[in-house]
Amino acid sequence: MPSLLVDGGDRAALLERFHATPSGREKPSRYFKYDLESPQIDDAAAERGSGAVSFANVPERAIVCDLATARRDRAELVARAYRQALESHHKYAWLTLAYGGLGAFIYLPDDYAPDAPIVVRYAAEDGASIFPHTLVLAERGARVTVVEHLEIGAGGFACGISEIVACEGAHVTYAAAQFAPEDARAFSTRVARPGRHARVTWATAELGAALAISDIAVTIAEPGAEATIASLFFPSGEQHADVVSTVDHRSGDSISETIVKTAATGRGQARFLGNIRIAEGAQRSNASLRDDSLLLSKSAHVDSIPALEIAANDVKAFHGATVGAIDEEALFYMTSRGITREEAERMIALGFFEPVIERFPTESLRDDLRSALERKVGAA
Amino acid sequence: MSDRGLRISGLRCSVEGTEILKGIDLVVEPGKVHALMGPNGSGKSTLAFSLTGHPKYDVTGGTATLDGEDLLGLAADKRARAGLFLSFQYPAAIPGVKVPNFLFAARQAVRPGELTPAKFRALLLEMMDVLGMDPSFLGRYLNDGFSGGEKKRLEMLQMAVMAPKYAILDETDSGLDVDALKDVGESVKALRASAEGRDTGFLIITHYPRILQHVAPDVVHVMMDGRIVKTGDTELAHRIEREGYDKIREEIGAVA
Repeated sequence: MPSLLVDGGDRAALLERFHATPSGREKPSRYFKYDLESPQIDDAAAERGSGAVSFANVPERAIVCDLATARRDRAELVARAYRQALESHHKYAWLTLAYGGLGAFIYLPDDYAPDAPIVVRYAAEDGASIFPHTLVLAERGARVTVVEHLEIGAGGFACGISEIVACEGAHVTYAAAQFAPEDARAFSTRVARPGRHARVTWATAELGAALAISDIAVTIAEPGAEATIASLFFPSGEQHADVVSTVDHRSGDSISETIVKTAATGRGQARFLGNIRIAEGAQRSNASLRDDSLLLSKSAHVDSIPALEIAANDVKAFHGATVGAIDEEALFYMTSRGITREEAERMIALGFFEPVIERFPTESLRDDLRSALERKVGAA
Repeated sequence: MSDRGLRISGLRCSVEGTEILKGIDLVVEPGKVHALMGPNGSGKSTLAFSLTGHPKYDVTGGTATLDGEDLLGLAADKRARAGLFLSFQYPAAIPGVKVPNFLFAARQAVRPGELTPAKFRALLLEMMDVLGMDPSFLGRYLNDGFSGGEKKRLEMLQMAVMAPKYAILDETDSGLDVDALKDVGESVKALRASAEGRDTGFLIITHYPRILQHVAPDVVHVMMDGRIVKTGDTELAHRIEREGYDKIREEIGAVA
């Protein structure tokens, strides 16, 4: 399938944008060995652009199809979502656009609220590169939950975009848990634009891949919107994870909550940058950022950096963070109940993630996360 | 049978190099209630933590056995499995661990396989009723955002479901209002009335005698400066209520 090159930009131009756009991230350090400004891309594999998309739980009145079909048959709808939430500083999105083609389009008409979450599944073979672009357009008052599954093979590379455009009063929850093989790389850009009184929730987990990079953003440009970013990541072994969350309150009377739980074990390395911006005119914004880090081994490392820029004066902004190993008093408390130290550590470490796990929309997804986390804690 | 009991002999304990317990002798027999009273800083909580195996409490001498089993050589979890329980004065909050999951894990650890999950749940709800706890407790994380009174009730709930051979209550009464205090008393009574808890021995550590109106002690000890300086019956507790600790301190001083 030929790639869909967009907006007159050819691949070379898009790649140029990718290389020229700063990542907004720290340079490699003694802890974090990867250079995120110019990650190595296998051009030949990227051009082959393999991978497939499939769907489950497609509700009757929604439009759910692959992106190429949507661009052909629903061009006017696609145009209302395609690159509408992305911004030029989203570095890795340029890479997805450069090798674009694969993707999904999900459209909910006015006030439509299907019960079951719509499942989008991307799959690629071992060693393949995949660049999926998922669009969600929810019309006025629609309610929808989307669950994205990414199945990439050993040594694979994924670099995807998810975009949400939620119209007035629409509610969109988007969940994505990344369990890629430990020699793969998984990059993602997730951006949302809630309308007036709309509500958007990102629930994301980065558990697999040698290198996971994630940009998660909500731009609030209409009054009364609500945004939630709930993220967990847990590098173990030799894994590296770098997550940047951004909530941009450009309009007031809006509420946002960012909750991030980062643990690292083995020689796992994690970096988190949590941006909260409240623009000058965004009065009566209410933003909270809660990020907690748990170190489960001596060679693991977590950097967690909150960045609050507040230009309005009538706002509420909360930031809370903790970092450290498992609390000895908590361990003693549990062992004093007959629970072995090992089991107590396991329960405390799994419990650490629970406030984010609870934000995931389905019990099976929550259980998948718990089992994956349990395996990682057990393997440490 | 002669070695039954929580038997403490010549126990010495240091915390960060400072000796706090200077030779404690105490025997709590099965089914008996001992009260351990004393002013702040006398070493009561240190006794509780050294018996339960807190790693910061360094036992430097003496022995402690539970129905003949040496406690001091065991890690904290094994002491609990031997039948020892401590109601913490300041229990840790553990976000993400739900109350019933924790309680079931604790129950399974100390009494493996005796209860099916359904029976366990029934026991839990029954004990929560005794303690005046709302069933919504079961949806909460362990001690996370709990008020002081809620924490103490949860300690008592743990005691009830674990049904230990010996329970140490470290100032479980402190900071409680009259109703909560009564509930604590009721939960001790309920455990003693149950088949599992009929022989449970109690060591109730308290600063004030008021808890003893709800749980009548068989023996009252007074602790000062790391030693048990007086042992008597309920009358000793009443005396402390009337006269405070200073009078006893004077007496001891006069003897010494």
